[in-house]
Amino acid sequence: MSKTDIQIAICGSAGDGTIAAGDILRNAVAAAGYRVIGFDVYPPEIRGFGKCISRLRITTDQSYSLKRHSDVLLSLDDSQALPHAGEVRDMGALIFESQPIAPCLEGEHMSARVLPGQIPYGFPMRELSQQATGGGRSRNLVALGIIAGLLGLLPDPFRKIIARKFGKQGPEIVARSLAGFQAGFEDASRTFKLDDVVFAPIGPREPSGRVIMLSGNAAVARGCLDAELDTFFGYPITPATSIMERLATELPKRGRRLLQTEDEIAAIAATIGAGYAGARAATATSGPGLALMSEMLGLATITETPCVVFVSQRGGPSTGMPTKTEQSDLNAALYGSPGDGQRIVIAPTNVEGCYRCAGKAFEMAERYQTPVIVLLDLYLSNRYETVTLEESGHAFVLDANKPLPRLEPGETYRRYALTEDGVSPRAVPGDADHMHVITGLEHNELGRPDDSESMHAAMSRKRHDKLQAALCHPDFAVTRRFGASGRVKVGLLAWGSTFGECLEAVFMAQALDIPCAALKVVMLSPFPAQAVAAFMDDCDQVLVPEVNYEGQFAQLVQGVLARPVTRLSRVPGSPMPVEQILDEIRRLARG
Amino acid sequence: MNADLAASPAPRHHVIIGNGVAGNQAAELLRDRDPESRVTILTHSRLLFYNRYRLPRIFQDVTSWPELLALPPEHYAARRIHVRRECRVSAVDPRNRLVKLAHNETIPYDTLLVATGGRGHLPEELAEYRPLFHHFGSYEAAMATRRALPDRGAVVMLGGDMIGLDLARTLLAIQCRVILVTHETTFWPHALTPEERAEALSTLETMGIEVIDGDARGGIVAVEQGAPGLPARRVRFHNGGDLYGDVVMPCFGLTPMVEFMVGTGIDIERGVLVNPQLRTSDPCIFAAGDVCQIWSEEERAYRFYYGYRNVRAMGAVAAVNMTGGQEAFATTRAESIGRDAQGRIDSSFWVYEA
Repeated sequence: MSKTDIQIAICGSAGDGTIAAGDILRNAVAAAGYRVIGFDVYPPEIRGFGKCISRLRITTDQSYSLKRHSDVLLSLDDSQALPHAGEVRDMGALIFESQPIAPCLEGEHMSARVLPGQIPYGFPMRELSQQATGGGRSRNLVALGIIAGLLGLLPDPFRKIIARKFGKQGPEIVARSLAGFQAGFEDASRTFKLDDVVFAPIGPREPSGRVIMLSGNAAVARGCLDAELDTFFGYPITPATSIMERLATELPKRGRRLLQTEDEIAAIAATIGAGYAGARAATATSGPGLALMSEMLGLATITETPCVVFVSQRGGPSTGMPTKTEQSDLNAALYGSPGDGQRIVIAPTNVEGCYRCAGKAFEMAERYQTPVIVLLDLYLSNRYETVTLEESGHAFVLDANKPLPRLEPGETYRRYALTEDGVSPRAVPGDADHMHVITGLEHNELGRPDDSESMHAAMSRKRHDKLQAALCHPDFAVTRRFGASGRVKVGLLAWGSTFGECLEAVFMAQALDIPCAALKVVMLSPFPAQAVAAFMDDCDQVLVPEVNYEGQFAQLVQGVLARPVTRLSRVPGSPMPVEQILDEIRRLARG
Repeated sequence: MNADLAASPAPRHHVIIGNGVAGNQAAELLRDRDPESRVTILTHSRLLFYNRYRLPRIFQDVTSWPELLALPPEHYAARRIHVRRECRVSAVDPRNRLVKLAHNETIPYDTLLVATGGRGHLPEELAEYRPLFHHFGSYEAAMATRRALPDRGAVVMLGGDMIGLDLARTLLAIQCRVILVTHETTFWPHALTPEERAEALSTLETMGIEVIDGDARGGIVAVEQGAPGLPARRVRFHNGGDLYGDVVMPCFGLTPMVEFMVGTGIDIERGVLVNPQLRTSDPCIFAAGDVCQIWSEEERAYRFYYGYRNVRAMGAVAAVNMTGGQEAFATTRAESIGRDAQGRIDSSFWVYEA
């Protein structure tokens, strides 16, 4: 059976409904049984101008990244979409407005940018919307109808999702939206198809779980809920805000709490406070917020208080590029607080990983009594994927605290007892007979201030050593190898969202007979040195692709293992193109 | 060089309306003769220049449009010929040298070549049945007709111009039934004497085409959807005697596509009127191909010249004169109809050189 691998891009201005159209499209094709990866790019401005692009790759089997070239580009606003015309492959389709209202000079209409190998389709989207709905605002739904009609997609999944999406706005809006979709669908269905973009029918699938569409941030929120997060404190910041937005809807339904604090310092302080009180607590932020939280994270480290911080990276430093993706907060996540601020840092590589890492982060925070940073980035936060969830929900451990031993009569509770595994029994306020002191000062086993050399060394060692067990945390793969086994010419070390592009590049390299493999590194602190070293032993050359300027992960690897790697560090503000990684693999393979 | 043309600063912009043989031939020569210029072809088609003379092959062995392309897509980039597809010209403004497109874009030009060709002519009395007809004027239309025609199906061909008769040869080869309803445009663009016409019709019958005398039946009164269980179309005549076919194709010759030129002040009769240098009454606007009527000194009249060789020659002449030349168009073909070695109809109109 032939397989589907189609990438569709919808481009317009803010306010055109570009992102909404992308959302409906990806949900409709997912409902039809296809696998989807989608990523939206939108402007930093709130509304009214600026470019929006919704890209989605639709496949029969799981894919791991977007493609460099789209098969279809639909322009809702040529002034924004013109530069992207060249992204459409030969024999792909370029769909645009055939009757724009405003006059334009030569070259300002999409038809001027159609390359000889591409197929142009002009549709009177505004007029169709006007006729079907009495206004031009449903152009985006007309556009969706055109995509469905032209590509031969069944309209029913679209209709259901449109009805669901606009249901809250009342039956009139739903009817109007459906009419807009239908107008586009009928017009495109009558259009002679000249491109070669074809959806292969979906065969029957093994029922291995529930397939749903989630963004990275939505998966984080779902992971939090399935791990029974008690309380969330946050302050809005792109691209992390939607985690808080989702939890704000869901937590109160479950009798749990969410508070928007006055700033990020308050958010982390409240999170630590809730963690101290025994609640599962979390916050979410981006690079600038992480900087504000760094001092308080040190408090969580020294007080050995569980807390979870989701950090979605964006272009920096400072305000930087709030709506562009980057992986440049790794150093801040690893080292960003005064003193030896040991903590656990994990980085999911896809949407399903966001869900798992979110749930597991609470386990780790409790088990190792430490802050856990879950490092996302804008590409992963805003990326949509079809993910398969187990029907029964994931079995996260809902209480990973070390059991509190019964005290013998006259025995004093030692909150920071030096134990073999470095983890001390943790009492929370209300636990009878376990009163103790909590302080940001260095302390002894009782928690009382003690800055002696021996105690500081012992406690530093305790805080460091206890985290090593996280490398073997149950049901959590800190690294995973993909591609060829055994000796390879080129090995890729990859983390975070860039792993998807790396994996696609590895598959392409293997198709070119280049022995190649990739190691996905999910746990960044403590660093899985043994696993990474073993992988590097198998590689003639090691390539580290990442979306930051300084090669922060490469520095980490070299700092720990003192071995050479080849860096591929780029800061395009967008995901690293697969072809760029493949080119580097080929170069290294040639020796 | 013409004073109006010479006044244009380099690099000049040569705009061609039409993506057929004449337009593309002109584009190639314009590129050669004026290397610094911009050359833009405007077409309402979604396809690059394809070989319409090979369209009948889609009923045989051509299964996709790329097989029909006259030139590969890379050619246009290499030659810096910008083909603007999905562009419908709504008007021309000779005073400001602007072409206006239906999507509200204006294209400035220094020289303009109108090479829009013709569309299938439909007699007025049949216009109301347009939705029921099957067409052959473009790849898309031909494919739609192909899909409507079952294996060994029946084709009713109304009129029977040389474009239709070319297709008829292919249809016979794939064992379809071809029923020709004659009309004054049968054998268009050839103008035959009654004797020649009778002989040619007889030849068609020899080839296997069923010839129905349209005049004898009093002309067509209606075209209808066929009843369930019968072929998809029914053609009814004034004097009775219905005809059934799976497809019904109007083949009544071509009408020049000149609507967008109305109101420009350019002289138009049925087609755009040009002198032998293919220049219109505006010195910067030229016309070539099936859209233009060329002044014939010999006949003291404007007349059309059809067929691949004529049209291509017109494109070349236009390009020469758009870049300052003074070449005159002269047809080299005898517009003849005859029989080939197998006794089948043959026509200079069908001659095509790839």
